[in-house]
Amino acid sequence: MNKNDWILIIIIIFISFSLLLFFKLTNQESNQALVYNDNKLILTIDLTKDDKYQVMGLNGEVDIEVKNNQIRVTSETSNYHLCSKQGYISKSWETIVCLPNKIIIRVTSLDQNYDVILR
Amino acid sequence: MKKIITLFFLLLLTGCQDQVFSKDLFYMNTYINIKIYHHDQELVNKTFSDIEQIYQKYDQLCDRYKKHEYNLYYLNNELEKNQEIEIDKRLYDLLKVSKDYYLKTNKFFSIALGNVTDVWTNNKELPSYEELKASGSTDLDDIMLKENYIFSKNSDVSLDLGGIAKGYVNNIIKEYLHDKGIKKYLITSGTSSILIGEHYQNEKYRVGLINPLESEKIYKVLKLNTNSISTSGTIDNYYEFSGEKYSHIINPFTLYPDNYSLSVTVIAPDPILTEVLSTTLVLLPIEEGKKLAEKYDVEVIWFTKDGIIETEGIKNYE
Amino acid sequence: MELRKTITLAMLLALGVVLNIMESMIPIMGNIIPGSKLGLANIVVIFVIYFYGLRDGLLFSFTRVFIVGLLRTGLFNIVFLFSLSGGLLSVVCMFIAHKFTKLSIVGVSIIGAITHSIGQIIAAVFLFQTINIIYYLPYLLLLSLPTGFIIGVISEQVINQYQKIKIN
Repeated sequence: MNKNDWILIIIIIFISFSLLLFFKLTNQESNQALVYNDNKLILTIDLTKDDKYQVMGLNGEVDIEVKNNQIRVTSETSNYHLCSKQGYISKSWETIVCLPNKIIIRVTSLDQNYDVILR
Repeated sequence: MKKIITLFFLLLLTGCQDQVFSKDLFYMNTYINIKIYHHDQELVNKTFSDIEQIYQKYDQLCDRYKKHEYNLYYLNNELEKNQEIEIDKRLYDLLKVSKDYYLKTNKFFSIALGNVTDVWTNNKELPSYEELKASGSTDLDDIMLKENYIFSKNSDVSLDLGGIAKGYVNNIIKEYLHDKGIKKYLITSGTSSILIGEHYQNEKYRVGLINPLESEKIYKVLKLNTNSISTSGTIDNYYEFSGEKYSHIINPFTLYPDNYSLSVTVIAPDPILTEVLSTTLVLLPIEEGKKLAEKYDVEVIWFTKDGIIETEGIKNYE
Repeated sequence: MELRKTITLAMLLALGVVLNIMESMIPIMGNIIPGSKLGLANIVVIFVIYFYGLRDGLLFSFTRVFIVGLLRTGLFNIVFLFSLSGGLLSVVCMFIAHKFTKLSIVGVSIIGAITHSIGQIIAAVFLFQTINIIYYLPYLLLLSLPTGFIIGVISEQVINQYQKIKIN
């Protein structure tokens, strides 16, 4: 370990916290989640309503739960169950990635002024 | 005493007030959300279970991959040359409507593309015309319908009702809700078609249309009631070969996704019409599409590479 | 001499693969953030870079990912592509840090750990076509510091001991 190593560590800590700050400042509470399977949108979920959903991933079922404007994966078919361990997300930068299942859950905020969105 | 009277009236009011009831279903490979605004919870629950039964039945009837009694899978497998096959009456009616639309759209809307879409779905590389052509017959003219019997001139036609089934079922549900006297509802099928009644609190529903080029931006807002709206396009539904995206809407004449528009939205009271025409209009040049729209009295928004084109009547929904 | 080098690299390769499999038996790391790990195999990678240079480092890293894929995680799936992009980027960056900066082995190891994370994030952004995955980056970066540090200290010991043996 020399002085340069410490400078490197400080720079990395600084960058990390700047990024965290940036995400925190630009994060918005969101009202809608988009569920993608293999890059294709398969489901839009209303986050204002508590409910349970099930989608099919590459390896099998992925169970999704919405509670208090937050969304999480409750169980999935995979070896490590990483995406159910991730817990709830609710803000616009947050993403749940179920790698082996190719399922991605993103949170977005669309204007509350619409009753329904067509795509 | 005064307090008790006010309380009583308040109770009476809330008792009669409409509430939002919501139900999620998954049938025909689609997530369906039904919202009904009504004061009678029992009636709504009954309605939900009836609607689910309708979806379930048609889900089985239109299933291409699994056998149920006299359903589409059965039909596709049993189709043999010059032999009459009996199928479920409900499936027969649906096929009849599909064939009518086939003729009404100058054969642009075809349910006989099963063989070709299978190639598009399963191929690892971009299929050639020869490959597509070799996959089997795609000629709906080969199929004849007569009094609950199907008769085919060609044994290898593979029927696929994916382009009409949702609209057809929504039409049945629309009539069902009308009979029950339920007026305030919103049914979302997948991300691309809705059936709406009256709004539960505002004057009209506000429907946002997503820009096919910028998938999070809304390019148009429609304000309307008691209608069906379907969008067909390439945003969420495409085949991909070496990074290149190909629309899932196949031209029955070229067997390729020769699309004139990126996205077409059709508005009409009849959900079958909106479902069928939105798909068809993607394949037609705008001028021809306009004629078709006029003929069937539907309102259309075309989103093309060169801009947005609308029929006259869209103004009424702005 | 050439044969000796080939045999040494093959043995190091086997060591790298074994370390990787050993590591997969320790389940703690993956629980903190998906995709993060201690990176024991990186000790061997650093060793190869220090004694054999960039070309062998890249080849070594590629072969290691390939063998681990063959044995455990499967070839050409998402995990494989992630490991590959993270692995190759970190070899290049560690080599640059080793040759052109005054960083010690610990610093080089930290560079390896963070660029491994960055490589994975880049692969994910392309694969899932969503920039949102960058959200994981600060967490992965912060976690790379202790892991890079630990691996760096071990590598320093390994390299020093090896040089002593060589001299004797």
